[in-house]
Amino acid sequence: MSSAILRCQRLTVRYGPTVAVEAVDLALTAGEMVALVGRNGAGKSTLLRALAGLTGHEGTVVRDPRACQHPRGEVRVAYVPQRATPRWDMPISVRRAVTAGRLPPGRRWRRAARTDGRVGGGALARLDLTELAARPVGALSGGQAQRLLLARALAQEPDVLLLDEPCDGLDVASVAALVGTLRQLADAGMAVCCAMHELRLARGACNRVIAIDRSVLADGPADQVLSPGGVAALFGLAGAA
Amino acid sequence: MSGIAWLVEPMSYPFMQRAAVGTLAVGVAAPVAGVWATSRRLVYLTDAMGHAILAGVAAAALLGASLLVGGLTAALVMALLVALLVVRARLPEDSAIGVAGQGLFALGVIGVSVSSQPRALSHVLFGNPLTISSADVAAVIALSVIVVAAVAVCLPVLVATTFDPVHARTLAVRTGLVDTAVIVGLGLVVVVGLTTVGVLMALTLCIAPATAARLLSARVTRVLFLAGSLGASAGLAGLLASYHLGLPAGPVVAVLAVAEVAAAVLARTCLRRRHAN
Repeated sequence: MSSAILRCQRLTVRYGPTVAVEAVDLALTAGEMVALVGRNGAGKSTLLRALAGLTGHEGTVVRDPRACQHPRGEVRVAYVPQRATPRWDMPISVRRAVTAGRLPPGRRWRRAARTDGRVGGGALARLDLTELAARPVGALSGGQAQRLLLARALAQEPDVLLLDEPCDGLDVASVAALVGTLRQLADAGMAVCCAMHELRLARGACNRVIAIDRSVLADGPADQVLSPGGVAALFGLAGAA
Repeated sequence: MSGIAWLVEPMSYPFMQRAAVGTLAVGVAAPVAGVWATSRRLVYLTDAMGHAILAGVAAAALLGASLLVGGLTAALVMALLVALLVVRARLPEDSAIGVAGQGLFALGVIGVSVSSQPRALSHVLFGNPLTISSADVAAVIALSVIVVAAVAVCLPVLVATTFDPVHARTLAVRTGLVDTAVIVGLGLVVVVGLTTVGVLMALTLCIAPATAARLLSARVTRVLFLAGSLGASAGLAGLLASYHLGLPAGPVVAVLAVAEVAAAVLARTCLRRRHAN
């Protein structure tokens, strides 16, 4: 079995007296696509934010550069927030928004270098956004906006991709295209972990499903976790699968 | 009077020369800062700054300290209070601004009621470009240079944190620090502009040219350039018009800046109709 590129142990997140995520153990491996499923408020977003380093937590989150498909001495983790998070009325083009992903530590004040332009251009092309590169971000449709957020994450050249409900509010065709792209990225060696409610998609596209309700209910192959008699069904998660 | 004489004749007076330079400097700095106020939905902040400064001015008057320094201190206290409430207490920005601004304003009203220098207070609170001193001109030029240089140098990080602060945090950007810097910068622009060229002109130049520029372009560098240009032209044109028409300068500049927004709405509507056809 491959070693974990990102692993958390006993991860607990509290918001004041409320425990949002409790004692979660999980490991992500390069080349796998993992669906994180659970009811609203189960802690999916909080778990992803903790893994991305956005939320203070108890327990450990360890990144192992030796487990990367393309070892660079560090594990790069990219986080794609829910689509409502950015200020879409900001006067910037799609290209500039994607290039914002190329803002690594120590180069805060530097203009985009040639490499940044090349990598950003590649991310735009990968998500079929090249023709929209000059368009204002506020003029994008929901599906295009989601592709922009994914392109920005790809511009970070990540080893691990964490996505918070990227399919939310998209039409069927956009969801299929997005999930297809995520599957390709996983096949190319990226570790992809995606919070989602679309259980049929999770079963079809993901290697593994993790069902959570504050703590992990089940973690295993999609067919097993989402089966009619599986653990997730006990919590009303498998009904739509 | 010929067109050239209309432009040149007022500039033969030193007070008009100082007013023109000061207005141009604020006309550039305020809109360039204002682009970030409008993008980050901090327009209400700039307005509340105008109220909050009263507390500092009144306190300075009571203590016999520099009124300008008192105003600056109040603006900084307000900016830091707002940043603290937004970043630490997680209050919505408008609530944080309302609480901090009105609280300081109330303190200022109490201070003014017991002050013995109402005229001096009036001068600082409602500065006039026509009475601007050489020291004031130097202050607004320095402010303008600092604002433009800071925005030019920090543009990538400003764009990243304004468009998506959550994502910027994943890039290890200290977004709280950037938020605080933006709010403090806006506070400085408002208070320096307010005490030199006047409250009406300073606040309007912060918001109106930036709003007009955002209507005319969706590229941030163009928006910044347009906002600065529109602010400077409204300032200069308003100053000249006020001289010739015998009207107060601040309100005329403010009206012209708002007229730029109306013109931008019209221009954008026409352009959209042309594209539709």
